[in-house]
Amino acid sequence: MRNFSYVNATSIEQVPSLLGRSWDDAVVMAGGTDLVGEMKDYAAVPKRVVNLKSIEGLDYIRQDDAGLRIGALTTLTDVLENSAVSQELPVLHQAVSVIASPQIRNMATLAGNILQRPRCWYYRSEDFPCLKKGGARCYAVGGVNTYHAIFGSGPSYIVHPSDAAPALMALGATVHVHGPRGGDEVLMDDFFTMPEMNIRRENILRPNEIVTEISIPKPEANSKGMFLKVRERESIDFALVSLAAQMTVVNGTCERASLVLGGVAPIPWRAVEAEDYLRGRRITEARAESAAEAAVEDAAPMPHNGYKVEIAKNLVKQAVQALAS
Amino acid sequence: MSQNGHKVIGTRPIRHDGVDKVTGRAIYGADIQLTGLLHGTVKRSPHPHARIKNIDTSRAEAHPGVRAVVTAHDLPQIADKLADLGEAIVNLRDASNNVLAYGKVLYKGHAVAGVAAINLHVAQEAVELIDVEYEVLPHVTGVLEAMEDGAPILHEDMKTTSMGEETDKVSNIANHFQHKMGEPDDGFAEADVVIEREFTTQTVHQGYIETHNATALWNEEGQLTIWTSTQGAFSVRDQMAEILQMPVSKVKIVPLEIGGGFGGKISVYLDPVAALLSKKTGHPVKMTMTRDEVFEGTGPTPGSYLKVKMGATSDGRLTAATAYMAYEAGAYPGSPVGAGAGCIFTPYDIPNVQIDGYDVCVNKPKTNAYRAPGATNAAYATETVVDEISEKLGVDPLEFRVKNGAKEGTRRADGPVHPRIGCIETTEAALNSEHYRSSLAKSANGKVRGRGVASGYWFNFNGGRSAISVSINPDGTINMLEGSTDIGGSRASIAMQLAETIGLEATDIKPYVVDTDSIGYTDVTGGSRTTFGTGYAAHATGQALIREMKERASKLWDVPADAIDFEDGVFSYRDDAEKRGSFKEMASQAGDAGGPVVAQVSTNPDGSGGGAFATHVVDVEVDRETGKVDILRYTAVQDAGTAIHPSYVEGQMQGGVVQGIGWGLNEEYIYNDDGSMTNASFLDYRMPTTLDLPMIETIIVEVPNESHPYGVRGVGEVPIVPPPAALANAIYDATGVRLRDLPMSPPRVQKALAENGG
Repeated sequence: MRNFSYVNATSIEQVPSLLGRSWDDAVVMAGGTDLVGEMKDYAAVPKRVVNLKSIEGLDYIRQDDAGLRIGALTTLTDVLENSAVSQELPVLHQAVSVIASPQIRNMATLAGNILQRPRCWYYRSEDFPCLKKGGARCYAVGGVNTYHAIFGSGPSYIVHPSDAAPALMALGATVHVHGPRGGDEVLMDDFFTMPEMNIRRENILRPNEIVTEISIPKPEANSKGMFLKVRERESIDFALVSLAAQMTVVNGTCERASLVLGGVAPIPWRAVEAEDYLRGRRITEARAESAAEAAVEDAAPMPHNGYKVEIAKNLVKQAVQALAS
Repeated sequence: MSQNGHKVIGTRPIRHDGVDKVTGRAIYGADIQLTGLLHGTVKRSPHPHARIKNIDTSRAEAHPGVRAVVTAHDLPQIADKLADLGEAIVNLRDASNNVLAYGKVLYKGHAVAGVAAINLHVAQEAVELIDVEYEVLPHVTGVLEAMEDGAPILHEDMKTTSMGEETDKVSNIANHFQHKMGEPDDGFAEADVVIEREFTTQTVHQGYIETHNATALWNEEGQLTIWTSTQGAFSVRDQMAEILQMPVSKVKIVPLEIGGGFGGKISVYLDPVAALLSKKTGHPVKMTMTRDEVFEGTGPTPGSYLKVKMGATSDGRLTAATAYMAYEAGAYPGSPVGAGAGCIFTPYDIPNVQIDGYDVCVNKPKTNAYRAPGATNAAYATETVVDEISEKLGVDPLEFRVKNGAKEGTRRADGPVHPRIGCIETTEAALNSEHYRSSLAKSANGKVRGRGVASGYWFNFNGGRSAISVSINPDGTINMLEGSTDIGGSRASIAMQLAETIGLEATDIKPYVVDTDSIGYTDVTGGSRTTFGTGYAAHATGQALIREMKERASKLWDVPADAIDFEDGVFSYRDDAEKRGSFKEMASQAGDAGGPVVAQVSTNPDGSGGGAFATHVVDVEVDRETGKVDILRYTAVQDAGTAIHPSYVEGQMQGGVVQGIGWGLNEEYIYNDDGSMTNASFLDYRMPTTLDLPMIETIIVEVPNESHPYGVRGVGEVPIVPPPAALANAIYDATGVRLRDLPMSPPRVQKALAENGG
């Protein structure tokens, strides 16, 4: 870890000026569970770390008629233990329950979870000056790409590591952003960016902007959700493939399906073809299978990660059948 | 009272070091603080194979916070010389070059320089200011590729030794040896079923939670003291004396509590570097490794290639077996292929055997001992082939093992004849276990289930030097100093043997692990020897104390010493029932009859005892869609000789199983084409967590070891041997697909099932 200065922010308004115009100037820290590791691995080498935990009033979960508003500094444990989340948003509750370990969930925040940097072992190693760090190539290409992307056509093949992000996206959540010109709101679907748009980062945030809140609309009646995660180890492990699914089913017919895969693409990956296929159809096993096929239609696996296509397919089929029954 | 008339042995007292450990008071290497302490770190090679053309340390030395920089040029360059360092014979020149690379770097992570600075962050910054000029050389990391003609050569001066003779051939094969017994060709001709299969295993790490550390102080008198985490303080002392070319009397090693070792904390890595930095600066210097340094810069256990062929008659008798075993030594010769060869067919009585072993250098870290080193790789091959033969013959795989099991008098292919062992008793206990007799319910969730079994053997080191020094307190309690570092509850298991011998409670003994100036030479805590060997010394110490106390009683009572009996913890004079007293009662008076009562004993048993056998049963559930293997139930059966503290025997069995499961299902060093390890963190190198495992059930079999006064057999290592094979056999039972490459991780299992229609 390189030397850096450390600043405690005391208000949201103050933060943009404490941050800089470049990611190398300053970064924000909340739980620090991702950032500190990144700094130890020299994947992040900021001159200044701006602590957000010193800001009062960003740690809340509020419910109203429109839905739920979750402050950016709310820990994953608080999300997990919130009764509105567990009763009305099972997809989010289940997703948060399988993140990391209890110790990490006690420290890590919900906003920090969706802002995690790639877990790619080339990105995290100081020996590989990869595209994400301003280098010339993606080492997953021609390297060991067992845990890399099967969707998107590069040039970087990282996968987005978040479990919470697919769940929030499936729920149609909105991210509240604060920058030098004040606050703004962005749909989760528009928040994440593919490598060809922005090779160094995974979302639209600029260096001097932060997330202040995530709001989740109340799910429509007859809507059900679930989160599935396949990992090699039952704890402290990222998804090989995950699926956040929220479906509205009336009398066996799917009115709306929201299916977002994790661990398969540089961003949480909405399975649009599968969603379109399911809309208005009566759910049968054959149709669940067709939806699964549609979900991976565009998959382009790398030499070592073809297994992810099969897992993604199986998860979609499993979730569609379970939510229709 | 436990069985066999013992009062203490077989009971489960709380360990002496337990409270300090669970309350965080126990002192580990990283806790050491000394006045004027500097902090050191290591510059490591980014290349797996390169010639060092120049090392320029001037920029680092100019850094204001830096106090010293050292390279291999600060080490005495020593000649080829072999030394026994506890679990392995080591070439000291190689050991020195492994500590700080000289001439060439042989693996990524190879240490090239050390820095001492005012704090760790400055030291880390300074490492980047050391400029090393390399001539990068072609590298080789796979064992079979390294054996090929034309492979990049690690040691240009190393000639292959073949069948005990040095040849003229320069190659990466350091050694080829052969064990032969009977005529395998004739044996296969008699066989009705012959199976020959190939297997590969990958490099895995012991994964101890505490990383390596060393704090050194080289004082003005030239006396070197090192505080460190080690399995053998005296082994560290010997290595330091040899690597630094100084008298052992100038080196004192203070062993701290140890957060796991499993064989990996015998060789020194940081200790000589810290010593050199302290010598240069005149200050104490502390060094600790990060996790990636532990993965890339210490000694994992080797990847290997094995080809095993076994034959049996239709009535279920093994007639012949052959094995070709090629093990990666890592950067310097010395893989555990020899130990693997001694174990590979040992649970069986086979008349015709040939084993060829190859010790092969590759551009990976120098391998080191890991719990039954070499045996797990071997058993993965043998036990899978035995499973296949049993299936072909239509016999129960455990009944097949009982029928062909090794027993007293059976000769191992590498020569020795078994004394009394518990191979068959262990297998029979598995066969009769509730687990094995229960039926395996079908899965309700579309997954498939299966059951597998496997056996394993480990020699156990039934010898070694141990010293114990005791003093009796007036209240009858005993301070017991020992040289065996306590990794797995050995303070308790040794104290219990002393307590048993002299009729006290375990809590009456206060055991202390002390430094090398304070106790006689004691061999490493390794080879499953400590409860055996230092326990042997504890028993002898008890006998010495009884003799001494009889002398004291003789003076106090004014009667002849040889007329005093000691029975059930009580001294008594044969001719006068009034003259009697318990050990504690006598202890309160004994000091008046000749000063404090003390005893010092050292022992070195002859190593003749029998080894350890284990048989495991596992039920798995395989998700064919994801390739994930879940363990539903696991039972480990093992001969412990006599279980001194059954909880710690069970703990060793469970711990070994868990490491074996990790090795079988997930763990591996994953290499890039450039020879670097991609997954040098506990996130990407997946060891199992408690959530991945059921409670590991244990069944202790007790066939006493005839070479120990209480019948102790070492228990620490053999439980890691069967798991990968047992899992492979269970996965086959579930899916119909045999997996012969480790690890059997989800991507690999899924691929194998897809390719084989499982």
